[in-house]
Amino acid sequence: MEETVAEFLRRTILKIPMYEMMTILKAWDFFPEEQLQTVNFRQRKEQLAVDLVLLCEKKSASLNDVALLDIIYTQAHRNHKVWDVFQMSEEPDDDVNLFDMEQFKSSFKKTLQRALRNVTVSFRNAEENAVWIRVAWGTQCSKPNQYKPTYVVYYPQTPYAFASLSTLKSTVPLLGQALKIASNHHQIMKMDLRSRHLDSLKAIVFKQYNQVFENHNSTKPLQERNLGQNRNVDPRLIHENTVEKERIQRITEETFGDYPQPQLEFAQYKLETKFKSDINRGILAEREEPLRCLVKFSSPHLLEALKSLAPAGIADAPLSPLLTCIPSKRKNYFKIRDK
Amino acid sequence: MEPCDSPESTPRQNASSNLKDYFLASTPWQKRLESVRKQTSFVQTTPRRKVPECSQLQETIDPHKLAFLLHKQWTLYSLTPLYKFSYTNLKEYSRLLSAFVAAEKQKGLAVEVGEDFNIKVIFSTLLGIKGTPRDSEAFLVQILSKSQLPSKNREDKVLWTGWFCCIFGDSFLETVSEDFTCLPLFLANGSESNTAIIGTWFQKTFDCYFSRLAINAFNLSWMAAMWTACKMDHYMATTEFLWSVPCSPQSLDISYAVHPEDAKALWDSVHKTPGEVTQEEVDLFMDCLCSHFHRHFKIHLSATRLVRVSTSVASAHTDGKIKILCHKYLIGVLAYLTELAVFQIE
Repeated sequence: MEETVAEFLRRTILKIPMYEMMTILKAWDFFPEEQLQTVNFRQRKEQLAVDLVLLCEKKSASLNDVALLDIIYTQAHRNHKVWDVFQMSEEPDDDVNLFDMEQFKSSFKKTLQRALRNVTVSFRNAEENAVWIRVAWGTQCSKPNQYKPTYVVYYPQTPYAFASLSTLKSTVPLLGQALKIASNHHQIMKMDLRSRHLDSLKAIVFKQYNQVFENHNSTKPLQERNLGQNRNVDPRLIHENTVEKERIQRITEETFGDYPQPQLEFAQYKLETKFKSDINRGILAEREEPLRCLVKFSSPHLLEALKSLAPAGIADAPLSPLLTCIPSKRKNYFKIRDK
Repeated sequence: MEPCDSPESTPRQNASSNLKDYFLASTPWQKRLESVRKQTSFVQTTPRRKVPECSQLQETIDPHKLAFLLHKQWTLYSLTPLYKFSYTNLKEYSRLLSAFVAAEKQKGLAVEVGEDFNIKVIFSTLLGIKGTPRDSEAFLVQILSKSQLPSKNREDKVLWTGWFCCIFGDSFLETVSEDFTCLPLFLANGSESNTAIIGTWFQKTFDCYFSRLAINAFNLSWMAAMWTACKMDHYMATTEFLWSVPCSPQSLDISYAVHPEDAKALWDSVHKTPGEVTQEEVDLFMDCLCSHFHRHFKIHLSATRLVRVSTSVASAHTDGKIKILCHKYLIGVLAYLTELAVFQIE
């Protein structure tokens, strides 16, 4: 085994948390079960890595074997990466070609190899017919850097691919090219959608987020929830408050649905709109130019946070369509101009 | 927005005739101090502050030191007056504080007697960092790690910096006796453990007290308005506000950045009184920004918490952190902060 490959293997093993080690090694399927039983998993990770590398050397593990292990690790930690979404379009007047996975893989690899002599391309099939692709980039004269790979998750028979782009920005156009050609599409473009949560992106892109779960039970009438809280207040006031609260609750549910929201971390709006105010009419009245603003909403779970704003009294109900359209428009980057 | 707790201020008062115009200090504290002492409920007259002007004093500030103070994040503290502090003893203070810092750092470790510690503390004055000649001289304290190499070219590495200043602190000065030196504003950059060590020594030596200086949303709004009002030749940074939304279970942060030219245009449209900023104008400025936001997103920013404001002049965070970007308005920014520090002490 080459030294660089051994080192790559060692560093990949060290990334894996101990509690996952057995699971990931089993999924890798490089060692038979019996051999895994002979390994001492109770020792320190550094020592375990040394042992495993030795075993791999005996079995002549290849670069591709290690790349596969890296894919499996990344699949288990997909939320550590930031994912962009690419959408491809069909050739006009093209018959629907029967998708051939092997042909796709071969074409993808060849396109990259023709452009850059040194690339490492690895594939792993995943659930729902998806294929995970790992690309390590080199140049015409230097070997691929295994520590800054790009990952792509492609769903054949759909025009979508999700990519965790390497920090090497120059690789993006070539990647797009390879995807487009290998999948027989005419165009490829990056959608204005980005998140760490790959599964949420999938749910948004494939419009799968609005599935109602049978056990979901949040629509208890408000009166039941507020029992006993308002003893000394005028009952008519309580009634009005309750009516308003129920209205807000109803509208919020209509807008966001009765299901868990897909998970996004941010939404960004580039605004170029004129200043208009009913109350402050004189301000900037003569100015033709719009106000140039950049608004960014950030949260560990953006859509759930937005959903809670109206019930909390911080926002009006219904909430602005600029916010509520995020899943349906499949965007979290927007440019807003006056009509 | 939090309830208004700004001090009242009297309209600009003329200082003595030998001072140039830009040393005119508004003394908002005078009236408030008096009313607090009398324990009368004070009537809220609309507070005013002078628009920060490019201070001529800049010329006396060492440009090297000035560059050192800018573009750094400082944590803010208010500091009560120092008892029997003397500017002639700075070398002695350096020596004592060096020993103290070394001792604190070595606590718990076995140390050879007479060992040469590899850090030193230096006191130096900061000339020109004041509002009026009456303000106490600002000074700087730095913890440096002594260069291990014998070569003279190797500079000592700065580990921690703190500086003390007083800008337009007239009213405050008047309340203390001569044994005290008033430097109510303290700014620190470096690890918190070092700040704690330095603070302990000062508190023991000069019988003073440090206290973190938080900046509430009300004052952040004032800063945003005042700094937007400053004339700039060119803008280095966008004008940005950061709000934190108290929703649960997930936190939500809203960053709202406006092109600095547009922010200035909005301010100019709001601004009526030349040379001064009034409460009404600040409120209107913020209200316009919030209503523009509401028009698009239907969210009431006023129901959330303003946490940070950032302009080409300076940026400030509610936790009491400041970064000054523009040398022209250094004194103006420090003047406001001194006000807040004095307010906290009283």
